[in-house]
Amino acid sequence: MDPSATNSFEDQWRKALREASETPPPSVWEGIEARLDEGNDKGIIPLWGQSPKIWYAAASVVALLLVGVGLWYSGGGINDKKAETNVAFNKSGNDKNAANDVADISKKDSSEVSNNTQNEIEKQPLLAKTETIRENRTKNKVTGSGLSSGKEVSIATENSKNQSGDPVKESLAIKEAPRLPNNSGTDIEKQAPTMIFQSEDNRVAANVVENNAQSGISAELLNSLPYDQLDVHFQKRFVFFRPEIREEEEVIKPAKNKEYWAALGVMPASFNPDVKIKEAPLAFSNQTLSNKKSVSGTSEAGASYSVQTQGGVRVSKHWTVEFGLSYLKGNSDYQGGGYVLSAYNSKSANALENALSGLASAPIAGPTGMDKGAGFANNQSIYIDVTKKVSNNYQYLQLPVQAGFTLNPDKKLSYSVLGGMAANFFLTNDLESASGEIITTKASDEIYRTVNWAATTGLRFNYRLSSKWKASLTGSYQKAVSSGFRSNQSLDSHPYLYGVAWGVRYSF
Amino acid sequence: MTFNEQELVTGCKQRNRLAQKQLYDVFGGKLFAICLRYTKNRADAEDVLQDAFIKIYQNIDSFRNDSPLEYWLRSVVVNTALNHLRQQKYLKDLDDIDIHHNGIADREFTLGNFQLQQLMELIQELPTGCQTIFNLYAIEGYQHNEIAQKLGISEGTSKSQYSRARTLLQQKLNKEKRFDDGSVRNKQF
Repeated sequence: MDPSATNSFEDQWRKALREASETPPPSVWEGIEARLDEGNDKGIIPLWGQSPKIWYAAASVVALLLVGVGLWYSGGGINDKKAETNVAFNKSGNDKNAANDVADISKKDSSEVSNNTQNEIEKQPLLAKTETIRENRTKNKVTGSGLSSGKEVSIATENSKNQSGDPVKESLAIKEAPRLPNNSGTDIEKQAPTMIFQSEDNRVAANVVENNAQSGISAELLNSLPYDQLDVHFQKRFVFFRPEIREEEEVIKPAKNKEYWAALGVMPASFNPDVKIKEAPLAFSNQTLSNKKSVSGTSEAGASYSVQTQGGVRVSKHWTVEFGLSYLKGNSDYQGGGYVLSAYNSKSANALENALSGLASAPIAGPTGMDKGAGFANNQSIYIDVTKKVSNNYQYLQLPVQAGFTLNPDKKLSYSVLGGMAANFFLTNDLESASGEIITTKASDEIYRTVNWAATTGLRFNYRLSSKWKASLTGSYQKAVSSGFRSNQSLDSHPYLYGVAWGVRYSF
Repeated sequence: MTFNEQELVTGCKQRNRLAQKQLYDVFGGKLFAICLRYTKNRADAEDVLQDAFIKIYQNIDSFRNDSPLEYWLRSVVVNTALNHLRQQKYLKDLDDIDIHHNGIADREFTLGNFQLQQLMELIQELPTGCQTIFNLYAIEGYQHNEIAQKLGISEGTSKSQYSRARTLLQQKLNKEKRFDDGSVRNKQF
């Protein structure tokens, strides 16, 4: 490395000046100390207190507000008493009593003024920017005390001279007032009622002083403190504000979850009444074979359908309760057990037909008017062991009550698991043979139970079409928990139902 | 950092006035010299020093012990001085100027015959832009791109201003050499 490189222009200067030291004069530390003390004295205020401009602006705003308040409160009184005041002023111009009272008030004002002026002047070191703090402090102290005493003297003197009504002096006296409009105003107002009781002239004199003072305030404040171009130091202020909206949220949330809906659907289904003949009917009990065979018949499910209406409520985010009213047309077939054939008219009756007809308290007649219950008794019929199918169709009115648990309740596609009970109100049953003979049983026949309870379960897919509308596809299974026949009957039935329902739902 | 410095910093963080005074006593001289280099007269330098120490005391909490205290103090003072110059608008409208190489080789250059006060005075006599950039580049060791970023000027302006400062200083040094034999001029700066 070239040794000259370390001796370059910059290096020379750096070596010479980098470690240079020059003792600062003592006034520097004194200034620093004064500013540190000043900072400590400020306490919490310095957020905005460091800028004199802001103080001036704040003082201007406060002064304007005070003027506005003064005008607001005095406006009506001035208008009302203006004429009276003008006349009375002339009359009382030489009244010594009035003048004395005014002087008393003025003295009070002056003492208030001097006190507050003193306070304000003491604050002035905060407002003024110091070029050299120590020097300015001394100056402020001197001028502060001078100003306060000077103002006090001049105000007191001028107020005492107000009796003479010299307009120049009056204006001078009032010039100091704007800094303390509240104090002077308040004192005058406090004093005024007393004077009213003393004499009419005194009251008038007080009004004059008040009016003059207020007019002086408004004129003087517009030209208040001198404005100087000083540096503005902006300070970042972080205001942490937490709006109290939690309560509202708590109120809104349950309302949001509480959702009502109505639904309409159609369910193609497979219905099986699962009818069993517990003992051989009358016409089949004569022969051993028929007695045995008649109870071997079975039901086969047929194509059925249900028209469903539903109403539901969402009780929480996931849970729902729903009610429904449905019409079920359950079609099925019954076969087996052979049939009996009448020896006289060649009519036949299936085991179920014969059993069902025998249950009725009154004869149940088919379209041909033949009684399929007692018509085959007394060995006037023969048993034929051949399966004969009859259609066995039911109509029910269903009232399901189900609870649902929904996954992804607020998503486009949601899934609900359903479970509950359904009350099946029996309407009619038609037992129709191949030949067209129909045995119709109604609820009033008291063969079937009026209400048959069934357990229900299902799985539903909901697809949100819009904020209000949803389409649903529900797979359902219902199984009767009690027999469809009354308990004293020789027939038993536990219908069950499979189905897939398509529907739409409207949310309110 | 020495143990005493650490104690000083801790004391200053606790707003201990004695610690603040001690910090001022220890570093005030060096920092005042920096202020003198960046300003035109002692009054301005005193103002800058005062402002700088107020900032130091107010922001001492942000000082981490991972760097020497003096570096941190110097950087505060330099930044305060730059702010002062900005407020006085001394750094406004710094322009590119033609670079004239003075032809004096580094190896021929020596400040050995000059005293500190002379050198300070020579720097203060420079135009403000040249003075500032000379201080930042030659003394503080900033690169031109850093200076450009700091002052909001182009890198070319920084270079040209520095070149001008260098030329002016060399001319002044040569002039001083011709006038005397290395004695200090009788002028208080």
